[in-house]
Amino acid sequence: METREKAKIRVLIAKPGLDGHDQGAKVIAYGLKDAGFEVIYTGLRRTPEDIANAALDEDVDVIGLSILSGAHLSIVRRLMGLLEEKGIGDKLVLVGGIVPEEDIPKLKEMGVAEVFVSGTYITQVADYIKEKLGLKDEGPENAQP
Amino acid sequence: MSEDLERIKEARRAWEEGPLAKTLKKFPYLNAESARFYSPDDLEGFDFLEKVGFPGTYPYTAGTFPVEPMAGLARLASMAGKGEIPGAGGQTRAAIYSGYGTPEDTRDYYKGLLQQGGRGGPNLAFDLPTQCGYDSDDPLAEGEVGKVGVCVDTLADFEIIYEPYRGDLDLDNIASNFTINAPANVIIAMYAALAEKRGIPLEKLRATPQNDILKEYIARGTYIFPPKHALRMFRDSLVFLTRNLPNVNITSIGGYHIREAGATREQDLAFSMANAIAYLQVGVDAGLHVDEFAPRFTFNAFGGSMELLKEVAFQRAARRMYARILKERFGARDPRSMRIRQAIGAHIGPSSTTLQRPLNNLTRAVIGAVASVLSGGRPLPFPPYDEPLGLGWSMEALQLAQDAGRIIACEARLLEYTDPFAGSYCMESLTDEIENAAWEELEKIEKMGGAVAAIENGYMQREVSRSAYERQRAMERGERLVVGVNCFTGENELEVTTNRLVANPYDPEKRERAEEKQKARLAEIKRERDDREVARLLRELEGLARKEEENLLPHLVDCVKAYVTEGEICGVLRQVFGEYKAVSPF
Repeated sequence: METREKAKIRVLIAKPGLDGHDQGAKVIAYGLKDAGFEVIYTGLRRTPEDIANAALDEDVDVIGLSILSGAHLSIVRRLMGLLEEKGIGDKLVLVGGIVPEEDIPKLKEMGVAEVFVSGTYITQVADYIKEKLGLKDEGPENAQP
Repeated sequence: MSEDLERIKEARRAWEEGPLAKTLKKFPYLNAESARFYSPDDLEGFDFLEKVGFPGTYPYTAGTFPVEPMAGLARLASMAGKGEIPGAGGQTRAAIYSGYGTPEDTRDYYKGLLQQGGRGGPNLAFDLPTQCGYDSDDPLAEGEVGKVGVCVDTLADFEIIYEPYRGDLDLDNIASNFTINAPANVIIAMYAALAEKRGIPLEKLRATPQNDILKEYIARGTYIFPPKHALRMFRDSLVFLTRNLPNVNITSIGGYHIREAGATREQDLAFSMANAIAYLQVGVDAGLHVDEFAPRFTFNAFGGSMELLKEVAFQRAARRMYARILKERFGARDPRSMRIRQAIGAHIGPSSTTLQRPLNNLTRAVIGAVASVLSGGRPLPFPPYDEPLGLGWSMEALQLAQDAGRIIACEARLLEYTDPFAGSYCMESLTDEIENAAWEELEKIEKMGGAVAAIENGYMQREVSRSAYERQRAMERGERLVVGVNCFTGENELEVTTNRLVANPYDPEKRERAEEKQKARLAEIKRERDDREVARLLRELEGLARKEEENLLPHLVDCVKAYVTEGEICGVLRQVFGEYKAVSPF
């Protein structure tokens, strides 16, 4: 955590599955970048394996999954297993998209830190990440307006 | 005339400096924007016949047809004593967008519709593996088989889906709809093969494949091949359909997906027109006259926002712009080439709905439907109010949406006037503004080399993403108001929730079992078919695909008849054409 405060928080925005509706993913990627985070966007049609590998290779702090196809439970279950296997089970995993209310506790049980649904402000997501990573007051360095 | 105009301009000045200024001073939260009043001086030199014309005549601003066939809905309803909405012209139109799990599940759904007296052909939603050219047994398909639509791997699946359509509802008497783009030619080949096997002449087939690949790169994302190769496949279907299946629509162009992805109104119109121009040019470059194929171009929708008046203006501008492109640029002479035929109209989309107080979405959809009927479209409120809840539409949401449309038609009788805003100073000004902005944006794309170039260099994708981001920021800043989300959210508001008691008839358990069942059948088909013939056909496909001048469609018909899978065909084409790699949004 000490070194973290010097570097930018790294966020992987990932789009698992074959669904191509990726404007939500892009909007959050733009927003977090403007809020001073380092953002990597995977592009479409990533498997949980691709995402876990990217998280490892890019040494990210946060993994944000955008899922609108209804396949969130199976995707998240597989991803969490893979992250554990690779020894990066401690990453902050967030889910955004269309998730029925009754599935939110199920996702959290699997290890998802928070689920952001329609109507969320990007600033809410940014503040949440900063708080979770212990940077609530200072904010990431080089933050842009 | 000009003397009159001088008097009006003078009166405007007097009004602005007198009563208007006084009122603005009294209510400081008002500004000139909220006090906009249009008068004849906004439409100097307005020429009715040039700008508007009569409905169903060039430039089609007032309407695609002399009268919208559904305008008679209220009369028909009172004659029938009930509000059943008949198909246009008594023909058997395609059913609503549907597709569930396995081909058997979908067949049973359509069987049920027919038993209830439905007469429409299938309007097929395909699952994502099918839309992306992967078979159900592909590792990339895992977890997605049969999820957002029906899975189709081989002709056997089509044979099952179409089992209920025999006798007086055989393929020569129904219309089908296929929402598929990148592998559209494989699906077209399956429909043709099915007809041939049933002994039905191809020229009798009626169908609409979406076959609008360019918007997939800009929005929606079910692309496979690079745009240039995708357009070669578009050429193949355009030429094949024009020659052999003249009653099948070639494409259903959609601005709707682009708008839903965040595009502004002007981007939506300009990008849709740029895509349409690219497709039209493909036909011309193939040596056809535009009037041979353009009448078989359709649009599915352009999408819409909650800004009703601007959306009415948008529809008018779109009709005029398309007509001008066809007539002036492509030299069309047949009026049918110049008309925008579209399935729906100025309705809103899911991006205008909210998860918060979801019943408000019914109000929103009704406003979209009113915009639609005031601009020559149908009274079809969309989407059902529970769309953002993400569990599929409930039957009560569908009932309320349908009833709202009936109320608009039968009680408000809003369909009984065609283009009621024609000649309105405000509406004509808005129409001009939108059209001019779209022409300007279109010109930019043309300078880059057209739609394909503007996709290859990432321009259209990035523009839409930036607009989506701007839209989000405007919401967060409170410039774009969304009731229950960023305004009127205080503690004294009632958080109205909704119970959905009547679930959609498709059993979710069936959906869960669909993947396993489909994989088993695919394995069986692969065991039973002639492997050497399959290998030969795929080798031949590879050779033909390498020759740009070859039309692959006749060969695709042979392939699917031998039960070559969609994934195998797309696999060979992936090798030859390569795969599209998305540009970075940054």
